[in-house]
Amino acid sequence: MAKTILAVDDSASIRQMVAFTLKGAGYEVIEAVDGQDALDKANIHKVNLVLTDINMPRMDGLKLLELLRKVTHYKTIPILMLTTESGDEIKAKGRAAGATGWLVKPFDPKRLLEVISKVIG
Amino acid sequence: MAEMRSGEGQIKNQTVDKLVPEDQDGVLCTAEVDEYFMDIKGELSQIDRLVSDAVNNLVSNFRYISRLTKSHHDMVLAIEKMAAPEGSKPILELLEKQMDLADKIEQELEMAVTSLQFGDLVTQLLAHTTHQVEILNIELQRIDRQGNWKKKVGKEPLHTIHEGISKAVDVAKIKSKRKPVVQQGMQMGDIELF
Repeated sequence: MAKTILAVDDSASIRQMVAFTLKGAGYEVIEAVDGQDALDKANIHKVNLVLTDINMPRMDGLKLLELLRKVTHYKTIPILMLTTESGDEIKAKGRAAGATGWLVKPFDPKRLLEVISKVIG
Repeated sequence: MAEMRSGEGQIKNQTVDKLVPEDQDGVLCTAEVDEYFMDIKGELSQIDRLVSDAVNNLVSNFRYISRLTKSHHDMVLAIEKMAAPEGSKPILELLEKQMDLADKIEQELEMAVTSLQFGDLVTQLLAHTTHQVEILNIELQRIDRQGNWKKKVGKEPLHTIHEGISKAVDVAKIKSKRKPVVQQGMQMGDIELF
C-alpha cells in the first residue's frame, strides 16, 4: 500500500512540484494550503509523513509542527520542513519543536525522494 | 513630506517653507507621499501578478509536457514489444533512440522542477519588500505629523529633515521582518536531518 504524504505550502506551484515528484515515486499526496488546512486534513487522514513550508498565512509551519506533535499519531511521524528559511535561529526553533529535518528551497526532486525514503523507512 | 519627492528636483537648496505648502498639518504633503508609496506598492503587486501568471503557465506547460513524455515513453515500449523479436534491426535501433530521447526529456523535466520553484521565492521577496515600503511610509508620515522640524529653532531646516528621514529609516529597519529569502540563485538548497 502506498504511503501517504501531506504536502503543506501556500504556493500552488510548490505544491504542484512536490506532488509531481512524490506521485512519480509512487507516494499518495494530500495537499494543504496552510497550517490550519494541514491540521484539519492531518486529523482526517493519518498520513505517514508531513512536508511543510514555514511562512504561510493563518498558521505557519512551526505552529503546525508544534500542534501536530501533541497529537498521538504524529508524535513519531517524520515531519520535514521545506522552506526558503535557512537561519540557525529558526532551524533551532524547528528542531526544538520536533522537526525531523530541514530542507531549504529550491528542492531537487532526487534529493527530496532520498531524504523521504530515509526518514519514512 | 514634499522633501521625499527628490525625483522631481524640488529639494535642492530650498528651505522647508518653500517645500511645504501653507498647510499647518501638512495633510496635503502626507497624501502625496502616501500616493507615492501606494504607487510603489502597486508596482510590486503588478510584478507579483506577472510572475504568478508566468509561473502558472509554466507549471501548466510542464505538466502537459510531462504527460506527453510519459505517453511517448509507453508508446515506444509498446511498439518495441510488437516489433520484437521479428522486428528488423533498423526499427529496433530507432526505437532505442526514441527511448533514449524520452529518458533525456524526463531528466530535463526533473531539473525543471527545481527551477520552477522561483515563483515562490520571488513572491516571498516581493511581500517582504512591500512590507518594508509600508513601514517606511508609516514612519515618514508619523514624523511628518509630529512636525518637529517645523518647530526646531537654530538648526538648518534641511538638516532637520534629513534627521527625520534617518530616524524614520532606523525605525523602519527595526520594525522590518526577517528577510525570508536569502538565496541568490536557483541552486538546490541545503538539507539537514536532525
